[in-house]
Amino acid sequence: MPINALILLMMLVLISAAFYVGRSRALRTADRESVSLHSLPNYHGYFVALWTGVPALLLMAAMAMFGPSLTGNVIELRLNQAAAPLIEDFDSRQSEDSLILSAQRTLEASADVNAATQARAALQNRRTAIAENIAASARENGASSLTLAGFEYANLPPERRGLFMNDARALAFNGQPSEITPAIEATASAFRPVDRFVRYGGAALAVLLAMAGLAWSRSRVKAGFRARNRVEAAFMGFLMVCSGIAILTTIGIVASLLFESLRFFEAINWRLDQFLFGTQWSPQTAIRADQVGQTGAFGAVPLFAGTFMITIIAILVAGPIGLFAAIYLSEYAGKRTRKIVKPVMEILAGIPTVVYGFFALLTVGPAIRAAAEFVGFESAVTQSALSAGLVMGVMIIPFVSSLSDDVINAVPQTLRDGAYAMGATKSETVKQVILPAALPGIVGAFLLAISRAVGETMIVVMAAGQGANLTANPLESVTTITVQIVMLLTGDQEFDSAKTLSAFALGLVLFIFTLALNVIALRVVQKYREKYD
Amino acid sequence: MADSGNRASTVYHDAAKTLKGKITLDGVNVFYGPDQAIYNVSMVIPDRSVTAFIGPSGCGKSTILRTINRMNETIDIARTKGSIRIDGEEINSKAVDPVILRARVGMVFQKPNPFPKSIYDNVAYGPRIHGLASAKRDLDGIVETSLKKAGLWDEVADRLDQPGTGLSGGQQQRLVIARAIAVSPEVILMDEPCSALDPIATAKIEELIDELRENYCIVIVTHSMAQAARVSQMTAFFHMGDLVEYGPTEDIFTNPHEPRTQDYITGRFG
Ligand SMILES: Nc1ncnc2c1ncn2[C@@H]1O[C@H](COP(=O)(O)OP(=O)(O)OP(=O)(O)O)[C@@H](O)[C@H]1O
Ligand SMILES: [Mg+2]
Repeated sequence: MPINALILLMMLVLISAAFYVGRSRALRTADRESVSLHSLPNYHGYFVALWTGVPALLLMAAMAMFGPSLTGNVIELRLNQAAAPLIEDFDSRQSEDSLILSAQRTLEASADVNAATQARAALQNRRTAIAENIAASARENGASSLTLAGFEYANLPPERRGLFMNDARALAFNGQPSEITPAIEATASAFRPVDRFVRYGGAALAVLLAMAGLAWSRSRVKAGFRARNRVEAAFMGFLMVCSGIAILTTIGIVASLLFESLRFFEAINWRLDQFLFGTQWSPQTAIRADQVGQTGAFGAVPLFAGTFMITIIAILVAGPIGLFAAIYLSEYAGKRTRKIVKPVMEILAGIPTVVYGFFALLTVGPAIRAAAEFVGFESAVTQSALSAGLVMGVMIIPFVSSLSDDVINAVPQTLRDGAYAMGATKSETVKQVILPAALPGIVGAFLLAISRAVGETMIVVMAAGQGANLTANPLESVTTITVQIVMLLTGDQEFDSAKTLSAFALGLVLFIFTLALNVIALRVVQKYREKYD
Repeated sequence: MADSGNRASTVYHDAAKTLKGKITLDGVNVFYGPDQAIYNVSMVIPDRSVTAFIGPSGCGKSTILRTINRMNETIDIARTKGSIRIDGEEINSKAVDPVILRARVGMVFQKPNPFPKSIYDNVAYGPRIHGLASAKRDLDGIVETSLKKAGLWDEVADRLDQPGTGLSGGQQQRLVIARAIAVSPEVILMDEPCSALDPIATAKIEELIDELRENYCIVIVTHSMAQAARVSQMTAFFHMGDLVEYGPTEDIFTNPHEPRTQDYITGRFG
């Protein structure tokens, strides 16, 4: 059994033992001194169990998280130590070598590109030669394999060191190294004892900590001890940590969005006006410095316009249909109809958006194109704003209808009774009393649906096309913020070109927009709730 | 219904003879799904007077009240059997449109329920949907007289465009009464109209009821024996869906014939 699992099991035993220790000590104290306990015996038990378990488990978690990097650091240190004489030798030889010195001088002085490249190559060659020379003589003198490995490691370019370590670690722990060299083998065998030490040491420390916690907290159990308050505080702390995690994650995401966006703004020289109001979007930038053209244009207006158009189409579909469905369900439908129709509508919300995407691409798009051609629009395309908007509208119908249904149901029955008692018909009651009363909530429902539509990705990726057209014609293909983010970030990309960074800026805009919508919607809905409570 | 026949209610009509009858209930039974809430109730409710329905909670006061303007129809599972006539005309017949019936029979509820509209629009609501006023001036007149009759005009005359929901509870209840009066009904049904109000607002409403009596047939459900005694001329006592005793308010409170009535008004149950 792996050591950590064993320790965990032991910990469980210890914790439950701690509970009984605390509890029985509390009981005995109460008995002996014939006083009543401040807290129930169970709370004393929980108190001792908490002190036994929490610090030790936290330590174990920390070990699990930081153990590997700790081991790595130790190994690196040992490699450096073992190879220290060789590295020293290498450094001193380098500083005396005439070839290297002259190459360095050329590099510093010369502005000529070709000369610099040549000097750099010469420098590299000479260094490799010296290193090989030192390694060979060390091998002859019977240097340990770890020393040789350390020297090889020190001479690796920094970006290759991580790979070397990973290979050594993989070799040591039944992984799949990408290559096996004597140096890696030597490092791997150094890994094993260190790892064992860190692992067992951590486990022993955890057990010790648990015992210490047990002993200390047990000694605190007295009749008058306020164990309940401590346990309640611990519980509250736990809840706070949980909510904290949610909040911190959100903050982290927003922060990364923000920082990457800042990098993008830097890359476009803070021309925010061009980003927000520019009308040309072609994010392809030059990949090599000598490539001509393709400087990239980051005017996001076509994306905003595309998003806006598709959202408007979607809400034109979902708004009336969802609202009328909600009115029918809450005011007209009998119990039985309601029981069937409502869940069916909610199924609509459960359909994966990819499936809607198929539907838009294979059914709605061609149908719209055929219809457009029939009435004379020859240039109609399959991937159009209209088909994406229509299908997205269908997708958000359940949002509108179920939220509207809720707010309509929240309109007090007494208002309906009042209207009916005045001799209002059903439709008069709906139009003149129920809808005005539910209006703020319905507005909230619409706003939430809009924010959903704005953030929707899959349908538009599949159905709206990718051309960043700035057009008011819903039969043309358009692109949206979300589609562009997908386009910018899929495929092999390095994350430091303006092209990829622009995705984060787009994400930030999207985030701010939907956040604002949500805040307004929630405000509106809340205000409406207060009115009837 | 088999068991509705065996439980004939004892009804005292004597007082109704001196007053002109407005509403006649004849063998009324009401069911909520499989449960019967009202058993074979027959009574004559006089015009231009106040009739109080009293009885312990759940005895069916609201239910019987709501048969008079067919409000029970808004509840899916409710069914009404028997004959109910206003001025001799059967209201349960197919020929009668509940929408028109409810213009003749106004209703005021326990909790004031002004619409989320302005004070003016609240009162104008009925006249508008029933097309009672063609010109804006007529409508203004109806709103003013209704608010005056409801004793609310002086308090709201200068803020008719403000929301009705912004008034105090007592004002709201008078607004709702004004709303009911605005369609010139013949009958006004009130279901515990004062139970959500403080004593002063209650006194105002009671005063109002007393004034309205001159022109309307008023039926009021109340839990307050004192209120029934103060405002009503006739009182009906219900118990478990039966009309136990019905007669002039004085008689019911001073000289009840039925032991159950006696027990209830002396506070022995309910
Ligand atoms: N909507 C309904 N669905 C089913 N049963 C109902 C409904 N409304 C009333 N009832 C039942 O009918 C009976 C009479 O109810 P009702 O509301 O008429 O009593 P009430 O005398 O007005 O009582 P309270 O004084 O508490 O208002 C009760 O048993 C009640 O449970
Ligand atoms: Mg009632």
